[in-house]
Amino acid sequence: MTNLTDTVVEIDEAKAADVVIGKGRIIFRRFMRNKTAVTGLAVFLALFAFSLFGGFLTSWDKDTIDPLNIGMGPSPEHLLGTSQAGIDLLALVVEGTRVSILIGLIVGGLSVLISAIYGCTMAFFGGKVDSVMLFILEALIMMPAILVVAVATSGGGQSLKELPSWLLLTAVLLFFSWMGTARLVRSLAMSLMQRDYVKAAKYMGVPSMTIVRRHLVPNIGSLLVLDFTRGITGAILAEVAFSYIGIGIKLPDVSLGVLIGGATGQVSSFPWMFWVPLTVMFLLTGSLAMMNDGLRDAFDPSSTSIGRARTTKTLNAKKKNK
Amino acid sequence: MSELSTQTGPTAVERQTVERLRDAGMYAPGDAVLSVRDLNVRFNSENGVVHAVRGVDFDLKAGKTLGIVGESGSGKSVTSMAIMGLLPETADITGSVRFKGQELLGLSDKAMCKHRGSDIAMVFQDPLSSLTPVYTVGHQIIEALTVHNPGMSSRAKEARAIELLQMVGIPSPQARLKSFPHEFSGGMRQRVMIAIAIANDPRVLIADEPTTALDVTIQAQVLEVLHAAQEETGAAVVMITHDLGVVAGMADDIMVMYAGKPVETGAVEDIYYRPRMPYTMGLLGAVPRVDSAQKSSLVPIEGTPPNLIKPVTGCSFADRCPLVTDECRAAEPELLSVVDGGAPASTAGSGDGGHRAACIKSGALLDVDAHSIFHAPPVPVSKFDGVPRDERSAVLELKDVKKHFPLLKGSLFKRRIGTVKAVDGLSFDIREGECLSIVGESGCGKTTTLLEIMEFHPEQVGEVVIGGVSNKAATDGKTKQAMRKEMQMVFQDPTGALDPRFTVYEVLAEPLENLGYPKDAIRKRIMELMKLVGLQPDHVNRFPNQFSGGQRQRIGIARALAVNPKLVVLDEPVSALDVSVQAGVINLLDQLRAELGLSYLMVAHDLSVVRHISNRVAVMYLGKIVEMGDVDQVFDNPRHPYTRALLSAIPVPDPELERTRERIILQGDLPTPLDAPKGCNFATRCPVFAALPKAKQEKCLTLEPPLAAEASAAEGATAGGRVPEEAQQFACFFPDGEIDADMLVVHA
Repeated sequence: MTNLTDTVVEIDEAKAADVVIGKGRIIFRRFMRNKTAVTGLAVFLALFAFSLFGGFLTSWDKDTIDPLNIGMGPSPEHLLGTSQAGIDLLALVVEGTRVSILIGLIVGGLSVLISAIYGCTMAFFGGKVDSVMLFILEALIMMPAILVVAVATSGGGQSLKELPSWLLLTAVLLFFSWMGTARLVRSLAMSLMQRDYVKAAKYMGVPSMTIVRRHLVPNIGSLLVLDFTRGITGAILAEVAFSYIGIGIKLPDVSLGVLIGGATGQVSSFPWMFWVPLTVMFLLTGSLAMMNDGLRDAFDPSSTSIGRARTTKTLNAKKKNK
Repeated sequence: MSELSTQTGPTAVERQTVERLRDAGMYAPGDAVLSVRDLNVRFNSENGVVHAVRGVDFDLKAGKTLGIVGESGSGKSVTSMAIMGLLPETADITGSVRFKGQELLGLSDKAMCKHRGSDIAMVFQDPLSSLTPVYTVGHQIIEALTVHNPGMSSRAKEARAIELLQMVGIPSPQARLKSFPHEFSGGMRQRVMIAIAIANDPRVLIADEPTTALDVTIQAQVLEVLHAAQEETGAAVVMITHDLGVVAGMADDIMVMYAGKPVETGAVEDIYYRPRMPYTMGLLGAVPRVDSAQKSSLVPIEGTPPNLIKPVTGCSFADRCPLVTDECRAAEPELLSVVDGGAPASTAGSGDGGHRAACIKSGALLDVDAHSIFHAPPVPVSKFDGVPRDERSAVLELKDVKKHFPLLKGSLFKRRIGTVKAVDGLSFDIREGECLSIVGESGCGKTTTLLEIMEFHPEQVGEVVIGGVSNKAATDGKTKQAMRKEMQMVFQDPTGALDPRFTVYEVLAEPLENLGYPKDAIRKRIMELMKLVGLQPDHVNRFPNQFSGGQRQRIGIARALAVNPKLVVLDEPVSALDVSVQAGVINLLDQLRAELGLSYLMVAHDLSVVRHISNRVAVMYLGKIVEMGDVDQVFDNPRHPYTRALLSAIPVPDPELERTRERIILQGDLPTPLDAPKGCNFATRCPVFAALPKAKQEKCLTLEPPLAAEASAAEGATAGGRVPEEAQQFACFFPDGEIDADMLVVHA
């Protein structure tokens, strides 16, 4: 589709006075116009890089105990200090951040995908399919997530025990995270089905799946993108919460939640153990929240940033001319 | 007030003098009740300051009606809101609005409340949202009385409320006082709104598009009520509308607004018979007439109104005016008196200054035909026009099509308590190159009929045959695809019908891709289509929201034509467009029908548009066709009482005719299809039925009249060499019967 338009753009650019800008570029521009969102994105990317390459900042790893520095504050040897067990905190935080981001990305991404497919299917087929799928959805919403997490991570069968605890938590979080969005997608898709342009496509004889792909999904797209970032935040917070109360990730696996939970008892004696992972968690969720607003502006065709966008564009052009 | 005087500097002294004179009793009651001088309204927007109203002047005398006419965005409603003091505080309002000599602009909201609803009252456009749903109608009327008459006893208030409801024609007012708004139909709610507006005997009544949201038959009722209310209270009325027909019969004076400024004012006859400003002439030429077979093209006004963010230099209409010269762009023309040569200057109703127009060429525009100055295109001739109807092949055939919806009740176990017969046994056919229109009030099943045809599913009750393919035979995808290629649809709302995320190119490519056209062919076809519907080919990369309403509808038409269909289904194709834009789209549809040999099936509520564009017309009432035939035959000689009432409800943009003609005002609203009567559906509202003797009424109530041509008419038609099929058919036992006197209205 985009290829098609591009060829036309090339042909017409010669004679057409107004230069046509690609959709992707418009979205990027609109996002870049929101300074808060750009800051958020920068912070998030920095943390992501930190979680991948932060290990190079220290020669210690998260399994090695430094018997000479047990429970010591930040020092040149250990930049962020060490834990009560004498493990380098920087190494722990790098590992924890990576696990948290991983959980966030997997849960946020997959749950959006599941909810989009589930919601669109419900809306598109309607009738009996809709009622049955809706019943399952409601049943899942009513299930107490915290109990299932507790049972799965501590009391579950032998086969569950063999999985790494973060993977287990991811699976459980994923299982409980998509229902709300699926309901939202369903209602949105149902109202889109009533739009005249969907009717027009139907009366043109366009196959059903093509209508879903070309008219429904793109129009729900901005919601899905938003829900992706919101889902990441939600998953990270859920992981932290579950780990904090001790039913999430279990040692020796490390996550931000485990670190925060472990340090709450000794905030006064080992303050760095508590504040460092907390700050990282705040930066992580905060940056995502900052990005959300910009993403909405960028994807929503009806958002007011269109009007403002044009004026800024002309202003920029004027500046360039000067 | 004092604040305002100090702010305005030098003029303040003058103003105070005037005020003192008026306060000292120099104000004579015979003067205007409402006088507006140099009213300017500015709004702030994201893109800059919008100068929405630019210098409006008028005087309104008691008992007179001023019609303000203009397109959307011309500042009509903003003017009325400024008078009422209902604009947001962020708006910048300058000038003067005087009610009986007292300045209203600059009054605080609290001071303004004393005038609102008692001296000046307003009737809003949308009756569905202007009543609070949680209070009874009686409560809301009494509330209006309480606010301005705190001393009134509750019994007196109730008596007054009943009196008011009676005045606006609500049956059994005592009982209806306790009803909630949702128990009233749209027309009834608008009556209640009028009752509230006249509750305190206002001196000025402002009606902002009071009938735009209503059906024509209901519109006629409401206009009648407004008329009665004005006679009862002697109030001056400001009638704001875009419909030149609505004001023709009611108004004494007309003010035509364009781009926030009055461009022509004068007595109603001056404006309608001797317009002197090209815009007014264009507007009048752009409206099709329902009362005569008009076979000339409509006058299209190209372009769009200027953006009021930029200061207007020169005439605001210059960009769309066919007579524009460099002089026009030099300075904005003043509203100056014009001399109506020959014709005696009629000052009968005009408030001040007689006929004035803002055009430097107005002197030369006397007796000039709008069609010639606006270059109305010649009437297109189709290759099918010469071919007799029965020799053309049918592109669409409906045989006894029915759509019944079950009405269910109960939460757990659904019981069927009735059937809504939305479409009940429809049969008609459309031949090549002709346009059939279905008309009727909302809720009569027009749109359901279209959807049944478009859905084209085999389980349909009755048979739909499109281009020789029957829906009974269309079980596989291939046959369906073949049929889809024959028939395309144009939607009512041009904005909703285009995916906001698609460029025009993508919109137009969709049907072609679906049929598997190669890319090169698609590009070529799209360029052809853009030219065909009168759009710039380099606009293909734009998104729909970068176009005006008329352009969007053109894109919608281009999409429908992409696959070369034989039949185009038009669902209210122009009802969402402004009058001047509408004319362009109607002309386009006419031209395409002739050039491409298309057939149209159109649904419309605007009978003037129907008369202009169609060859045949079917009148629907409660899911059934009550009259069908050649459009001129049906419109000039309607036989069914419903058709007669429907046609007489349409206001005509001709003040003299409008004032003197007889009108049939139907009583009541469209009954719900649920309790459709056993005999003739229309008997409950029928003006002929009401006048019939008891014995004959019995026939209407027990037997259902079939849709058939009158025996003698059919014979005559055959004798005259025409086929009986083409004869006018109607479903009534007593065509041309006497009309009940109660339902006939003639204005003196």
